[in-house]
Amino acid sequence: MKRRQFWALVAPSVVVMFGFMLVPLYQTLRWSFESVNYGEAGTFIGLTNYRAALGDARLGRAVLFTVGLTVVASAFCIVFGYVLAALVNKLGRARPLVLGILLISYVSPQVVGAVAFSWLFDSNFGGIVDYLLNAVSGGAFGNPLWFTSTWPNRLIIVANVVWFMLPFAMLMILAGLQGVSEETLEAAEIDGASPLQRHLYVIIPSIRGVLGFVVLILTMDVIRVFDSLIPLAPQSLTNGNESLMVYIYRVAFSEASRNLGLGSAISVLTIILILILLFPSIRNIVKEARA
Amino acid sequence: MRHMRLPRSQRPVRLMAVGLLAASLALTACGAGSRTGAATATKVACDFTNPSTPTTINVLAYNSSAVDPFSNTMVASCTHDNVTVKHDPIDFAGQLEKTTATLAGDTGTYDVVETYTYAIPDLASRGKLQPLDDLYAKNKDKYALGDLDPNTLKSMTYDGKLYGLPMQSQLLVMAYRKDLFDKNGLTPPTTFEELRTDAKRLQDAEGMKYPIALPLLSTADLDTAFAAALGSQDSAFFVNPDTKKPNFTEEPTAKALEQLKSLLPYMDPQVTTFDQPKVQQQLYNGKAAVAVMFSGRMNDLVQQKNTKLYDKFGFAAPPAVFAGGKAYSTVSTDGWSIPFNTKVDKDLLFEVIGASVSQEASQASVPAAFPARTTVDQSASPYAAATKDSLAKGPTKEIQPYVPAVSEAIRPVLANYMAGKIDVPAAQQQMQAAAEKVMAAQK
Repeated sequence: MKRRQFWALVAPSVVVMFGFMLVPLYQTLRWSFESVNYGEAGTFIGLTNYRAALGDARLGRAVLFTVGLTVVASAFCIVFGYVLAALVNKLGRARPLVLGILLISYVSPQVVGAVAFSWLFDSNFGGIVDYLLNAVSGGAFGNPLWFTSTWPNRLIIVANVVWFMLPFAMLMILAGLQGVSEETLEAAEIDGASPLQRHLYVIIPSIRGVLGFVVLILTMDVIRVFDSLIPLAPQSLTNGNESLMVYIYRVAFSEASRNLGLGSAISVLTIILILILLFPSIRNIVKEARA
Repeated sequence: MRHMRLPRSQRPVRLMAVGLLAASLALTACGAGSRTGAATATKVACDFTNPSTPTTINVLAYNSSAVDPFSNTMVASCTHDNVTVKHDPIDFAGQLEKTTATLAGDTGTYDVVETYTYAIPDLASRGKLQPLDDLYAKNKDKYALGDLDPNTLKSMTYDGKLYGLPMQSQLLVMAYRKDLFDKNGLTPPTTFEELRTDAKRLQDAEGMKYPIALPLLSTADLDTAFAAALGSQDSAFFVNPDTKKPNFTEEPTAKALEQLKSLLPYMDPQVTTFDQPKVQQQLYNGKAAVAVMFSGRMNDLVQQKNTKLYDKFGFAAPPAVFAGGKAYSTVSTDGWSIPFNTKVDKDLLFEVIGASVSQEASQASVPAAFPARTTVDQSASPYAAATKDSLAKGPTKEIQPYVPAVSEAIRPVLANYMAGKIDVPAAQQQMQAAAEKVMAAQK
């Protein structure tokens, strides 16, 4: 390919990347050092926003909650995604239909799914899960307050995130399973490996790259959880279930101060946190690529 | 016999494509639905001077059964000749954010914005809205604007200038289950003490676990409830208007906090997650027997399509927090304002908003709304009498530029207090500190 052709093909992507990623990133970084009022030029205030962010206990709580949610939900998605993918991989003609059904939660708007999900636990709107847990079990579960108590609320948030992200994990892993050599599997079977051993020692190592990619995407997606928490965690301000993105949104756009500068500083800190969390996955992917 | 298999390289791609297609088809089977109700809205005369070039007027107004009649009438009546009026659905929180954004710079997205009593002073004091006095005088006769209630005009006035054309007012009104009250020999409570007594009676006699429902959503409604409880002890304001010092360390705040919490045993334990639609839902389901909400929510309760209890509700002014006090109420007038940064001709915009609050448009909004016009026949409204009573018994309004900011600043503290994380003295101290910070920033 000639240099001119190369740049002609690459230029649109470069322009889009610059416009939609680098400019907002630069603006966020710039505002994080400024005091910003809507519609006015910012005033440079140095590290004041960062000091305010790091001195706010709310940030610590939001980080703990978000990282915890990311670890738990990602682990669930990887484990159950693998199990589901292995099952779907065995299907014949029914596979497209089953896949289609499984993917509905992933392609539906997150906030719509979350509202419907919240109704499962809200007695005002039927609350079928709440009813089954309380009425049928005779209150054995202690009538949990799904939306105000910290841990019951965390349970439904995790469940919703898993419900939403599981199809993606399953689909990626399924694609990986399709690439596992049947000869290798047959050899393992001849060598006397049990089904579990085949999964643990043959299949999983051979799709390690795919699993790393899934972890990467899950981490990025779950750490940015936002809209689903509006219906699912209305009490997040006081019960410790405020995610980083909800915290940033409130600081920058909805609370009294509407502090874009502070919101930007927290956003920059969040980017750093995401990079730290993604470092192992990125390193593994690079290793895989070089191998 | 084994089924046919695709070559390995094609299978994952085909698999994903089929799966995604199936899921997408399942979802797109659901229609998007109409974006506004303008198609079926009341049409009124909207006789502006036709602009020489095609002009689009973008309207920002939240959707509710009380505001929709006016928005929809505006769109339906004023979209003709070279003018197109556009209004997209949005909720109240969304309107707040978009108002901030559209009024931020020299150019904005919207040409008409819905405003309300408590927003006017802040926006007007910062020069974000166009004064309307000259346009009002010019169009007064054409749109019979003299029939608008002077109090509603006053609610849209700041520093002697009119910044909004009032369409309707929202007041806190009490809805109660008349059938259950009659059955148990109860009358609508006039004080919080009576409210608690009635609720206890309904718990015991009817087995109703949570007879009271209030919108106390910790991220939105809690400060309104607190303001109503504070206002019920008349002349108790957030901030002393003379010294500009917050009043939260004073006795009325302690009493308001205690009284709000005193209702918790009679409310759903998750009441701090209840916005007004959720409170309505409690009444629809028969889970609650008494609720206090804004009047714009009342008409929904008497619609058969919403609840089988549609004919069981009575309406009254809300009770006073203490005997002899003002009602646990607040009034906010909704109206139309013209942003300072719109590029559309102001005369044209005023004609459009004038038409939307005309006699016919206002009449058509009954019973969904409580219109600003005094000449509207409200005999068809089941809650109009209660609304008028609430207006008469309501507290003195604290209308200052700093009130919205102070309200938002104290909200998290109120949420922590209602969640039982802090006691009354701690709540008072924290509210005072938060409000002082806001007042310092206002200087």
